[in-house]
Amino acid sequence: METNIKTLYEESSSKKILIKSSPYLFLLPHLIFFLIFFLIPSVFGIYISFTDWNLFGTPNFVGLQNYQTILMNSESTFNTQFYNGLTNTFIFVLFTVPFCIIVPLLLASALNAKPKLHKFFQSLFYLPTLLAISAVTLIWSIIFSPSHGPINNMFDLNVLWTSSQPFAWVVLVVVTVWWTIGGNMIIYQAGLNGISRDYYEAADIDGATTIQKFFKITLPSLRGQLLYTVVITTIAQFNVYGQPLMLTAGGPNNSTRVLLMYIQQNAFGSGQSIAGIASAMAVMLGLCIMVISAIQFIFLTRNDRK
Amino acid sequence: MIDKKGVERMMKKSLGLLAIGLSGLLLGACGGGSNPNEITFWNPFTGPDGENMQRIIDEYNNTDPEYPINNISMAADDMYSRIPTVVNSGSGIPDLNIIHAERIVQFRDANLLVPFDEHLNNFDGITADNYVPEAWDIGEIDGERLALPLDIHTFVMYYNPTLVEQYGPDILDDGVITFDEIREVSERAAEDGITGMGLTWMRPAFLSVMAQHGGEITVDGQNPTLNTQESLDTLELYIDLYEDGITNEEGTDPLQMFLSDELVFFPEGIWMQNEMLNAEFDYGLTHFPQISEDIDSVVNWASSHQFVMFENEDRDEEKTQGVIEFIDWLRDNSIEWARAGQIPATLQLLEDGEYQDMPQSYFVESEENQASMRIFEYKYNGFVAEWLDANVFDVIFGRVDPEDAVEDMQREVQDMIDQDSTGLEGSLGDAEEETEEAE
Repeated sequence: METNIKTLYEESSSKKILIKSSPYLFLLPHLIFFLIFFLIPSVFGIYISFTDWNLFGTPNFVGLQNYQTILMNSESTFNTQFYNGLTNTFIFVLFTVPFCIIVPLLLASALNAKPKLHKFFQSLFYLPTLLAISAVTLIWSIIFSPSHGPINNMFDLNVLWTSSQPFAWVVLVVVTVWWTIGGNMIIYQAGLNGISRDYYEAADIDGATTIQKFFKITLPSLRGQLLYTVVITTIAQFNVYGQPLMLTAGGPNNSTRVLLMYIQQNAFGSGQSIAGIASAMAVMLGLCIMVISAIQFIFLTRNDRK
Repeated sequence: MIDKKGVERMMKKSLGLLAIGLSGLLLGACGGGSNPNEITFWNPFTGPDGENMQRIIDEYNNTDPEYPINNISMAADDMYSRIPTVVNSGSGIPDLNIIHAERIVQFRDANLLVPFDEHLNNFDGITADNYVPEAWDIGEIDGERLALPLDIHTFVMYYNPTLVEQYGPDILDDGVITFDEIREVSERAAEDGITGMGLTWMRPAFLSVMAQHGGEITVDGQNPTLNTQESLDTLELYIDLYEDGITNEEGTDPLQMFLSDELVFFPEGIWMQNEMLNAEFDYGLTHFPQISEDIDSVVNWASSHQFVMFENEDRDEEKTQGVIEFIDWLRDNSIEWARAGQIPATLQLLEDGEYQDMPQSYFVESEENQASMRIFEYKYNGFVAEWLDANVFDVIFGRVDPEDAVEDMQREVQDMIDQDSTGLEGSLGDAEEETEEAE
């Protein structure tokens, strides 16, 4: 009787273990990163929000004191910071998310008609996403520079773009949308490619206009992509930090100072670290994001449950 | 006959050996191989002056010291975030660190600094006589020497000599330019479309003018005194200058204006000298604008880079001596640091001809000039600095009422101080007290 290594391996328990555990082995690398860089820090961060830690030594438990200060003590600086930061963050999300959905959608639809040079335009629209935030804000602060920038000089304006309202918001929205077009655009393009031409032909036969075709065929077919991008884009814009920091420095008069800027300043500022308050603010921000995402998800999938 | 179980065992063993081998490689790549006698030196010099520091380190290491230096530069924010991490974990603590002078008290209150006193016995040269007084004094707190100075850097004023000659020829005669003189020059220059003074970094500008008015950011070292008449006067001085058109307008870039001969006076730090080389003219350097002509009351905002040693079990007495040897060597070898535009703290340099030709040496030339440099030592300086950086321009440009602003500054800094837990029960700051009580 001859046995060979191959048969031995085939019948061995090692192989059975390998096969049974292979899904988990595939998950393992990401799971390790997720644990180390997301789950453990998040839990630790939530713990810190119940202390008055200053990054040195052992944290000192203070219960709900930090939350009370930022949410209810109207005489405290941190209360002012929290509400100012949260309001500005909400305003930012409200202004940017619609444009971050609509503009890439229109561009993707236009590219889907496959005009001349559409590959070139596709790359052009995607390019900004590849740039680092600091490069983006540097370029745009020069463009919007009141004295040297092309916008004021070409159109003969005298607008203080980054230091007066409502222009500061305009700058932030324009830069953010320009920077993030690429991400959503390719998702919509992939979705559009999957829509069967038959629908459009049938609509043409029935005499539908372009706009009717868009709202009756394109949009409903893209529901999955739209749901995903709306939720993800909202979450991403709640985390805005670089644009107001480097374009408007939170001004004018703290009107574009978003919550993450206060969190960063309190935890890692020039003075002693006030990590407890910063963590409490971060936890509240996280809760807001979760609630809003849940609302969006329920709202956008309600048709599926009818 | 092939032993089935044996082959299985062999396969498991090889997998196990592979795993161990890989982790061994990884660990080896991470930590090992460095010279145990090397002094890990952390500093925030990532800009052009980082090159000068590297040259200094290379020069020192070429003297073949027993404890050579391993130069690790990182962005200041990174460095100050990393320090708590390594200190808490107890491993990877650097042997020698450069920090900004205002932060000494923060680290001292957390009981993290090792005093130099008992280690200086073999070094007669490291004394008050050999260093710029302001830079030397700030390293001593409550009789303990917690830091040794590398340099002092001050916020002063550049000017365009041709324009000054044209619009205000005698203002430099007494060596001090006052705000009134700036006004006169600006009004004349405005007729030709030239702007008088630039609004640049308001944090040091505000602190200097407030001090010139006789104000203090703190009187007892703990509580801030920011909502004072002097603070108000300072803000109103700048508001008036802005409204009267003496300064550049909001949205314009004073640096570009200065470099293009469109601005007469440009207050900035000595560290900006490399930028000034882009001008088409030879710039002049003098004291920050003052409200009084009296040389004895001149205040130039200053900060300082200081050497400190964090508590570190791995650094034994001999290595500590090695650290201080490097600092001692710097007393005679700081010219390279001066070439970076800095004012090294060692007075030895005053005799160096090359240094005497450098514009920044003006500020250590005489005792009065040395005394004009002022480091705003206050435990909570960081909170004040952050408020100033975020809010002063809004006041100057008329968006916020100055009286509201000073109250806001006082309240915000006080609220932050109340939240600070350094030195309170339970934090590291309390560790020494508890052991003392137990004894």
